Amino acid sequence: MTELYATGIFLFVLFVTLSSSVWVGLALVGVAFVGMELFTARPAGDAMITTIWTGASSWTLTALPLFIWMGEILYRTRLSEDMFRGLAPWMRWLPGGLLHTNIAGCTIFAAVSGSSAATLTTVGKMSIPELRQRGYPEYMIIGTLAGAATLGLMIPPSLTLIVYGVSINESITKLFLAGVLPGFVLAGLFMTYIIGWHFLRKEERPPPEPAMPLSKMIKESQFLAPVLILVFIVIGSMYFGWATATEAAAVGVVGALGLAAIQRSLSRQTFFASLMGATRTSAMIALILMGASFLSLSMGFTGLPRALAGWIDGLGLSPVVLIIALTVFYVILGMFLDGISSVVLTMAIVEPMIRQAGIDVIWFGIFIVVVVEMAQVTPPIGFNLFVLQGMTKHEISYIARTAIPMVLLMIVMVGILVVWPELATWLPENVRQRPG
Amino acid sequence: MLRFTRHHAQVFLVPLWRVLDRIYLISGVTAAVFMVLILVIIVVQMIARWAGFSFEGSTEFAGYAMAGTSFFALAYALGHGAHIRVSILLNLNRFTKLWLDAFATLIAAITATYFARFAVKTNFMSEMLNDRTQGQDQVPEWFIAILKMVGSAPSRWADLWASAGTEWVFTPVWVPQIPMSIGTVLLAVALWDHLIRLLVTEETAIKSEVVE
Repeated sequence: MTELYATGIFLFVLFVTLSSSVWVGLALVGVAFVGMELFTARPAGDAMITTIWTGASSWTLTALPLFIWMGEILYRTRLSEDMFRGLAPWMRWLPGGLLHTNIAGCTIFAAVSGSSAATLTTVGKMSIPELRQRGYPEYMIIGTLAGAATLGLMIPPSLTLIVYGVSINESITKLFLAGVLPGFVLAGLFMTYIIGWHFLRKEERPPPEPAMPLSKMIKESQFLAPVLILVFIVIGSMYFGWATATEAAAVGVVGALGLAAIQRSLSRQTFFASLMGATRTSAMIALILMGASFLSLSMGFTGLPRALAGWIDGLGLSPVVLIIALTVFYVILGMFLDGISSVVLTMAIVEPMIRQAGIDVIWFGIFIVVVVEMAQVTPPIGFNLFVLQGMTKHEISYIARTAIPMVLLMIVMVGILVVWPELATWLPENVRQRPG
Repeated sequence: MLRFTRHHAQVFLVPLWRVLDRIYLISGVTAAVFMVLILVIIVVQMIARWAGFSFEGSTEFAGYAMAGTSFFALAYALGHGAHIRVSILLNLNRFTKLWLDAFATLIAAITATYFARFAVKTNFMSEMLNDRTQGQDQVPEWFIAILKMVGSAPSRWADLWASAGTEWVFTPVWVPQIPMSIGTVLLAVALWDHLIRLLVTEETAIKSEVVE
């Protein structure tokens, strides 16, 4: 009975504070405080700071600001122009043509940046005008871009996965590697969709691109090589166990700075802009994590997560049914909250539940990323929709409609993950990992 | 009768706001310095490992720098609209835009004040109990003496230096906790400040960066 009462209070306070637009991190602190004061005799304030300090000064978390910074630097270089120039010669032959640059561009940028909004702007800045000029249908340009940008959250480095790993105390390196293959599969699904469009809607095809000699193709793609090398160093060093996630991030920052310097796009101004931008984003996520760690502590005292896990266990649901239920739950939550907030907010409750049900936590990290990715492109709060609205001046509802096929493909992706869990678990199990 | 109007309030407040904005910015720059510090610590640690040396306590130092960058940037990030909030109801109409924002800022300010109060208390307690790190990280005694000078009367400075040796000691926890105290206090100040600005000028002072 106490648990039911506790749940009610938690949910009510949480709903009121969040919906009245209190900043997410502080709202979590407030809710946790109310919970501590009502349900425990422990001094709430001191317990709060002990938990928050331990979390905020932890070594694992240091990967977060560095990966953000790496993405910020590359975002401010000439990368977006180079990306289009380098990719276009190779994509023109595929059925569906240059539309594939959206997918391939997002996949590559996702491998240097952990955010889907940055991926979207970097790729869209060049590809939208170029594709429009060549006469590709608007709904395909916008839709594929909105969908593919969500790869930024899945392909390592991924901020959502760092946050997930920190919340449940699992290896970030393993989570990153788990995201690689599913990321490629999802990109493959998007490309299949473009190919399907090519054959089913013949009348919408733009005139084919003029031929280009191989020598010129190679010359154009040399712009892309430095970024690809950086990607392989960062992900490879984690896979071969040469570096921890944080060290790989440090290598990434140094590499990105070097790359920008070679391109001569690293002015003092861009350097400071990237540094300050990264500081802000990192502090934003840190505040949410602080609130979430206190909320986990507070909820732990009430015994709520254990009780709920026990209850779910008692229902005797099969893991598949549990996953379906959680998918629906996260999609609804994602309509109102951004990905990182919905992950940290629910982990205290969901973690014991999935461990009880015997679901692999690394696999679950990838699952949760796909599901919150969906939320990025579904209204009313889909962050990618807002960004695209700013870039294209289309109505949110129009952009959301163009993205519906992509959302369906992501649901297919969840199905694929359920049927072939090895897709996510194989790579991390075979990694030569350094301790720490 | 002279009425105290918005205009009068602004005459007093605008110079104060300028000072506060400057403080938030300085705090943000400090946070950025800590971010660079994380990078430097990790790069040095990697080089040390390849060269066969060991860098004792590098993970702890990187953690302290992490706390430094997070806490110092809190108020600065607030002013730039970097902190996430659910804004569906906020953007409903002009009434909610002002009054719901004021309500949310009030709740946030109370929470942040509570946060800051216990952060400062914990910081002082760590110093009183002389809590030391759990890791292998050490700092020179003179460095602690300098920090202690800031918090004590000049008449005690001679004492401080007399008791500080030239040795390295395990890091006292209160030292890396200082950014937590400063950062959370600044966040609370910034939230009260934004609340007052909102009520006086009827528009939010938080300028959200459009995602570039």
